[in-house]
Amino acid sequence: MIPFLRKRMVSSAVPLFCVVLGVFFLARMTGNPVDLYLPLSATAEQRAEFSAAQGFDLSIPAQLWNYLSDAVRLDFGTSLRTGQPATEMVLDAFPVTLQLAGVTMLLAITGAVLVGSLAAYRPNSPADRVASLLSMTAASIPDFWFAIMGVLVFGVSLGWLPTSGTLGGPEIWVLPVATLLIRPFGVLVQVVRGSMVSALSAPYVKIARSKGATPRRVIFGHALRNAVTPVLTVAGDLAVGLVNGAVIVETIFGWPGIGKLMIDSILQRDFAVLQAAVLLTAVTIFALNILVDVCHALADPRVRQAVPA
Amino acid sequence: MLLAGTVLVSSGCAVANSAGGDAGQADGRTLRVVLTQEPPTLEPCEASLTGTGVVVRSNITEPLVERDPASGELHPLLATAWKQTGPRTWSFDTRDGVTFQNGEPFTAEDAAFSIDRAVNSDLACNVEGYVFGDDDLEVEAVGDDRLTVTTAEPDPILPLRLSFVEIVPRTTDTEAKVRVPVGTGPYAVRSWQAGAAIDLNRYDDYWGKAPDFPRARYVWRSDASVRAAMIDKDEAEIAVALDPMEAEKDTTVAYPNNETTALRLDGREAPLDDLRVRRAIDLAVDRQGIVDALLGGLAEPAGQLVPPGVVGHSEEIEPTRQDVAKARALVAQAKADGVPTGRTITLVARNGMFAGVSETAEALQYQMERIGLNVRVRMADTATQLQYQLRPLPKNVGPIALLIMHGNQAGDAAFTASQYLLGDGPQSTFGTGDLDRRISDAGLLSGDRRQQAFADLLARQNEKVVQYTHIAHMSGLLGLSPSIRYEPNSATGDELRLAEVGQAEAVKH
Repeated sequence: MIPFLRKRMVSSAVPLFCVVLGVFFLARMTGNPVDLYLPLSATAEQRAEFSAAQGFDLSIPAQLWNYLSDAVRLDFGTSLRTGQPATEMVLDAFPVTLQLAGVTMLLAITGAVLVGSLAAYRPNSPADRVASLLSMTAASIPDFWFAIMGVLVFGVSLGWLPTSGTLGGPEIWVLPVATLLIRPFGVLVQVVRGSMVSALSAPYVKIARSKGATPRRVIFGHALRNAVTPVLTVAGDLAVGLVNGAVIVETIFGWPGIGKLMIDSILQRDFAVLQAAVLLTAVTIFALNILVDVCHALADPRVRQAVPA
Repeated sequence: MLLAGTVLVSSGCAVANSAGGDAGQADGRTLRVVLTQEPPTLEPCEASLTGTGVVVRSNITEPLVERDPASGELHPLLATAWKQTGPRTWSFDTRDGVTFQNGEPFTAEDAAFSIDRAVNSDLACNVEGYVFGDDDLEVEAVGDDRLTVTTAEPDPILPLRLSFVEIVPRTTDTEAKVRVPVGTGPYAVRSWQAGAAIDLNRYDDYWGKAPDFPRARYVWRSDASVRAAMIDKDEAEIAVALDPMEAEKDTTVAYPNNETTALRLDGREAPLDDLRVRRAIDLAVDRQGIVDALLGGLAEPAGQLVPPGVVGHSEEIEPTRQDVAKARALVAQAKADGVPTGRTITLVARNGMFAGVSETAEALQYQMERIGLNVRVRMADTATQLQYQLRPLPKNVGPIALLIMHGNQAGDAAFTASQYLLGDGPQSTFGTGDLDRRISDAGLLSGDRRQQAFADLLARQNEKVVQYTHIAHMSGLLGLSPSIRYEPNSATGDELRLAEVGQAEAVKH
């Protein structure tokens, strides 16, 4: 397992470095932030002073060198927008998104395994058809539409839930998590169902059934263990995609997470915060991918053996 | 599953725990305001930024004098009286018995310090560039209750300009902008939970009338429908910047917000360098149609860059009436004279500038193409649009028609003219020597002569320069809970005075 891990980490370093470089250059291609931060009628002298203070007057390679050498020391500079250290802002925002994504994935996987397994146990039964229809609908609903409709129906019309916000009891989680959940849940139900249908028709399951195992034992004791590998892979991809979904959810519901921070940083040309946010997100995504691979390898020894040390 | 569980447990419940015990429920004691976005800073010298000013101005900090948004007159605030004592010098008497929220007494020295810090320092405060230009001010405290301010050139509207300088204690940092300000206003900052809320407490030693609400809380939601829903759900008492689709509701109030939309035509580039083509564009636009169909009927067709209530606005300037046939003839004439009227004009507009902006841009594109021009729309974000709006203007981008929205919160056309009409103004693409002279001369006048001079030069722009195709004087929409009483005015979008909000009689206790 150690060689496997080492190999995966080394192979992740190159794309991670590409992300770091990519965001650095792409940010600078969007233009000079001076206009946004100085008065509209700032003099050329004030603009020059501002550029010099922020290091924007240096050549691009010099700026890149400063960025990389500071980043190695985990110093990502100061936000142009708020004057706070970029690292501090990113570390404040990140747990908020992690919480949202964590709860969402927990519910999505649990729900999808239950619904998908039950649907697969009797393929083409009415329960299976309803589950398939609902999951396909869930996977297709635009999240921003779902969010706004959720606010209007459950917040305003029925009055059951708060419209938005992060301050309050457990009820504040319902609409944001439901919005974020709906797509991964829909996709995972279909993956679990497909995977379980083939697992349930495998010879070892037939043997188990013939020995009189209960449906619960057949599904969760035998078939699910073998059906879990593709589910894990898809769940890993979906977890990565949650960052995109978080942008919508955080913007609409006012959650101060990393998705909203990234969008604000892009719109405000706040390079330091953008770079720190993208790097931390990229590291998390790579870590998540490695974790998925490890789970994959633990579940299926062939995966470990396929990676030479 | 394992991963999700680990993440959930390890991240804890930071979001829910950040509530600080205040769930923000309607308690009749907290005035809850929902803004479009979190203010980037509460630094008082940045209060001319909308997001900052709406929280800070006249709530946390106060200026020496304030402008009445309805009449345009200046009223005493931290200064009790002021007079011009020389061609370039003004003297201000400061108010006794005022204290800052840190307990220190307010004196003329604090006022002098604040002006110096905002206008003469290296902080690059927004108020400096927008209100005062490049020249520094000489400021001197003459005793505890009087200060003098001397300008480089005679300035008849100096007190108006100083109404934009928020007064802070002389102990305030001069090297860096402050995150949490101290002022003399009716409310003091209690806490700022980054990303979540800003809380204010009533300042009990406030020198003026105590506001109704002991507390105020600002939160922010970028989606207009969510802001409106928060009023319906009784989660907020005031919601700013609602969409026209909410206009019919009892809880929504429209108010003129001093913003004017216009197309700025870059007269340096063909075919926009031809006066006939610019006039044709002006004639092509169906202002009333845009107002009725796309702006919810909440705006007024415009013929000048400043709305009623601003010094210089002229009632005699009528919005141009659409005349497609005449516009077509002008374009045809220009084409016959060799003007490349088929060259693609890029119409640049900013996402989110106002509700219906992209539809307005498309309508303008259609109306310009109807008269024989070739137009493509480019929707941009703020930073990109600013590159087109501000000097130095981008090069080699062809003819640009820029959709702008100009807000004159200062109440005097001098601020508009120096930015948008001057030949080399920071937000102007071209002009004429004649217009430049008129702007410069009008700036030295006061009273009726000032009004007339600016009105004349705005009319002159429409006749001889036509850099702008004015579209509409806009309105803001405010969501107000039935539990409060508040009358918005033209300054509300930039300066939401919480002390002017009262509890509705029915819920008073």
